[in-house]
Amino acid sequence: MHKLILALPKGRVLKESVTLLEKAGLSLALSEDDRALTHDSADVRILVMRNADVPTYVELGVADAGIVGKDVLLESGKTIYEPVDLNISHCRMSFIRQVGAKLEVRRVASKFPKVTQDYLRKMGSSAEVIKLSGNVELACLTGLADAVVDIVQTGSTLKANQLEEVEVIFHSSARFVVNRAALKLKAERLRPLIETLRILANT
Amino acid sequence: MFAAPEGTRFVLPPEARQRAQLVEKLQRLYDTWGYARVDTPMLEPYTPKHPRAEQSFKLSDRDSGVLSLRSDFTTALSALVETHFPNEQAPMRFQYEGHLLLAIKNPDLARTREFTQLGLELIGVSNARADAELIHLARESVRAVGLTPRVELGNPGYVQVLFDLAEIPEVLQESLADAIDRKDEATLENLLHSVEISSELYRALKTIPDLYGNVQILEEAKKLTPWPEARAKLERIEAVLAEFEDDSELLIDLGMARRLSYYTGITFRAYTFDFGQPLLGGGRYDGVLLPYAAGFGIGLERLLSALPQKGERMVAEVITLDDIPARALRQAGVWVERALSTDLAEVKAYAKSKGILYLLTDKGLEPLSEKAVPERLENLLEAKGA
Repeated sequence: MHKLILALPKGRVLKESVTLLEKAGLSLALSEDDRALTHDSADVRILVMRNADVPTYVELGVADAGIVGKDVLLESGKTIYEPVDLNISHCRMSFIRQVGAKLEVRRVASKFPKVTQDYLRKMGSSAEVIKLSGNVELACLTGLADAVVDIVQTGSTLKANQLEEVEVIFHSSARFVVNRAALKLKAERLRPLIETLRILANT
Repeated sequence: MFAAPEGTRFVLPPEARQRAQLVEKLQRLYDTWGYARVDTPMLEPYTPKHPRAEQSFKLSDRDSGVLSLRSDFTTALSALVETHFPNEQAPMRFQYEGHLLLAIKNPDLARTREFTQLGLELIGVSNARADAELIHLARESVRAVGLTPRVELGNPGYVQVLFDLAEIPEVLQESLADAIDRKDEATLENLLHSVEISSELYRALKTIPDLYGNVQILEEAKKLTPWPEARAKLERIEAVLAEFEDDSELLIDLGMARRLSYYTGITFRAYTFDFGQPLLGGGRYDGVLLPYAAGFGIGLERLLSALPQKGERMVAEVITLDDIPARALRQAGVWVERALSTDLAEVKAYAKSKGILYLLTDKGLEPLSEKAVPERLENLLEAKGA
């Protein structure tokens, strides 16, 4: 039998994902070596990668399935199945400005240019989108941009820097995603897994 | 130095040969089913109504008209039928093979802007037998290139019927269809909560993404959606399946709900094991470009990436000083290169450096390498002579 190949994001979500998948009945073997990129058990292979790469691996079928945040998934624009909301890694994508900012928004900085562009278009704004790689709040403080679109978990970073959420664009949580061909051709393994994950996610 | 524009590439040996062989295999299959070969112009008059109008390359013609480069075969074939076979007796069967160009990058594994597509159109008849013929040929196309096929059938009309029954507002239909197509349970649930519908329709729409698998799921679907309009859509799929002696390689997904495509009836995609993307896609598009028409297209580049790469030798097997003794070998299909030098020592040195196995002179075959198996060629010649 071929192994089930799963793409999981490295970092905090990895441990949470592995725990969840084990609860769902998969026997996984995560090696102690932090540098390991793949982890093999008897019938599952785990590929560890940056979260933004998960949709790509799953869309092309290099991985049969994976776990990734809805925020990253929307940014990727990939067409893959997302049958389970895992109800973990909750956060919100928000439109953020300096407290009290009133002037017209001309430039918006974000790590999520596609999400930002879609949002601005929906709001009828023609502001320019600047792609940054991290600490986008800095863009607001320094005047690089008039607003930023970013992930907010608790909001404490925003408060500490006199920034505020003007609008929540959407709520995000981790999704179990599946390659389109794999769902059909490996249904005997993926269907029961999806069923179990749905039950676990709702308890 | 020359740089190929983004999304275009040179096709080199041995790939060029493998491509030609694949195309030939498929064309011969379609020939035996009576699909006539046709070709269409690479230049087309630009119209904003074209389904790929935005993505196509535009050129200005000298008389100030606007042209676009061919970006879709189905539209091109419809134009061919309208202009040349307006009163032809149905059914009409056509096959095509050629290049398509897009100004944007193809959201595909290959990310090409120039790609090769071949496919079929079955025009003038709309019934289950016609759908089944195309689905059968889609399956056999995959088998013809040496892969194990699985063909998945859907009917986006089924989802549409449920939308109509539930009176889903037009503005919501697209995002709802998208959520169903992505099997995005969370979004689907949120959207359904925003409309007032009966609990039966709520349950049906919420369950649709999970209605995929073997033919048995049709029974499940019938129970879930007992309304006559919905049943009719399911019965069309049943009628198509009834045309198959063996439906073990067919799958069904009632959650196929893409709305941006032009399909109006049954749609299908073919897959093979251990390859994550569909090898071909097609369906019925009655009343869109022609009253009755259905077809499918295969992206050659996609197909190639699903096949193992051939490490075929791209070098002659034999080198000859003279054409006459080579004739019989060439007739038997052996690649015989003609030496362009007459100096025997020079020819031998060249042949050895290239990896050519034999030297052919009027004295016969002389092996040049330990890998040479002269019996192979002698047997070929004997078989040809006998």
